[in-house]
Amino acid sequence: MPILKVNNITKRFGGLLAVHDLSLTVEKGEILGLIGPNGAGKTTAFNMISGYYEPNQGQIIFDGQDITGLRPDEICKLGLVRTFQVVKPFYQLSVLDNVMVGAYNCTNKNNIAKEKSEEILEFLGMTDLSDHLARNLSVVGRKRLEIARVLASEPKMILFDEAMAGLRPTETDEIIELVRQISQQGIALLLVEHVMKVIMSLSDRIVVIHHGEKIAEGKPQQIVRDDAVIDAYLGEVTTDVAS
Amino acid sequence: MRTFKNNLKDFLIETFMDWDKMQLLISFVVLLLIGLSPLVVKSPYYMGIIILTTLYIFLGISWNIVAGFAGQLLIAHIIFLAVGAYTTIVLNNTYGVSPWIGLPLAGVVAAILGVIVSFITLRYGLKMDYFALFTIALMVALKTLFQKWKFVGGAVGMWVRLNNPSWEKMIFKAKEPYLYIALGLVVIGLLIQYRIYKSKIGKYFLAIREDEDAAEALGINTAFYKTLAVVIGAALAGVGGGFYVMYVNFVEPLQVFNLGLNVEILMAAPIIGGLGSLAGPVLGGILNKPIVEFIRGTLAAERSGTSLIVYGTFLIISILFMPQGVTGVFYKIYLKLRDRYVKEEL
Repeated sequence: MPILKVNNITKRFGGLLAVHDLSLTVEKGEILGLIGPNGAGKTTAFNMISGYYEPNQGQIIFDGQDITGLRPDEICKLGLVRTFQVVKPFYQLSVLDNVMVGAYNCTNKNNIAKEKSEEILEFLGMTDLSDHLARNLSVVGRKRLEIARVLASEPKMILFDEAMAGLRPTETDEIIELVRQISQQGIALLLVEHVMKVIMSLSDRIVVIHHGEKIAEGKPQQIVRDDAVIDAYLGEVTTDVAS
Repeated sequence: MRTFKNNLKDFLIETFMDWDKMQLLISFVVLLLIGLSPLVVKSPYYMGIIILTTLYIFLGISWNIVAGFAGQLLIAHIIFLAVGAYTTIVLNNTYGVSPWIGLPLAGVVAAILGVIVSFITLRYGLKMDYFALFTIALMVALKTLFQKWKFVGGAVGMWVRLNNPSWEKMIFKAKEPYLYIALGLVVIGLLIQYRIYKSKIGKYFLAIREDEDAAEALGINTAFYKTLAVVIGAALAGVGGGFYVMYVNFVEPLQVFNLGLNVEILMAAPIIGGLGSLAGPVLGGILNKPIVEFIRGTLAAERSGTSLIVYGTFLIISILFMPQGVTGVFYKIYLKLRDRYVKEEL
């Protein structure tokens, strides 16, 4: 049984059809890449799945439960957590407190939340930074913090909204490695991403959307050879990327 | 005796290494000094200033929790003080209920008003500046309502009848008992503030202040916690309002539904002291009221309003030069001292 099942969701903003009749599934432990040109409706789809928008039509099933129209915090409680494209650390809080806010999702006890947060910071190699204020972190540090917070909330699945945006190549490699490790813990992932290197090296499957509709779905090797995808999004250079 | 000394030393070192506990310690030292002040201060005029200073610290704590922790721009926080004051005096005058019961009930009534404010603003999605404007509009509406409402004395207001002073009626001939009641309130307020700050609720308040969307994504029911912050702040302000009316013996709509008084007694202390910090209301509070009184005392003979100009300038300067408040200045000094201590230990 898939952990996430999106059935024919549609979202209109006035006369604009942002997402039309989109369906997709994510299996347990799978990494699904969601790509498409700017304005294709990726973020809108993302916001519907995470509860920030309510779809006009369609249904979203997570872990066997209908989550259509639930609030983001209710969806988070069920184990489906998102990150933000522009990271949103709690700037005036310490790194440890940031992570603890995530950890309180599963506990009310200070010491349990603290222990778990310290564990996660160690996993991410951020133990030295735990007393620093989040606003003093570098860009890549803030991305790591965002991931740490999400992990602390004990998700069954994470929605990554352009986790690599604004990073240098070496930093991107670092985060790719991190995402892979998270996936190995059995957490399902949905990646919305513009950096093709990331999508190609991480995804088990890819869904391509254009003008709010799904135009292709398949393994990365199939997607880069798909004519519709090349026309709409990848262009000619992608053959280099694939090779 | 030795073990006691060692325990005390351990306790002090542990407190010293933890800034949050340090702030609590600093606050209690200040309170102790206030508590000892009757030994030195004999003039009822100065004792009156000290009592109001103490009360304003307590009221500052109530605003610090809503605005400093949870970041809710509850500008017209004074509505809760006003409602608390009226609740206490109506219960006392009309129903003969002792203020000792009236004060907690004032907190309850103010908390209910807090729930109503939260419900309306959440229902219509009012945030930040619109939330602030809503609270101001509500204050103006309540002022008019209370001016027309004969049951609470209308525009004339209500007095506490001062015949036969007694403990039960919270009416005293001397000023000192009022001081110790106010100090008791501050102690309770500080402990509540500390407990909240150190708990899940406090972390959630701060998260909402920093970024509401991110807070929601991490499983925080923002509507619930925003309401909770307003309710806690409102309840404390309501209790403070109850004590306020028992101390000044008088309440009227123009006096308590008043933005000027709102700034002076609710917002100034935490802002001068450092909004969102644990020691802010105390450190700001011991500066604010005495400065207000000093300015008023020296400039009262000048053209009317001069003292307000000077006070306003003082507030602006303190915000510009101490954005983190007095506590922020203390924190910088503290960090240097702690670094030196840690180096010496090594």
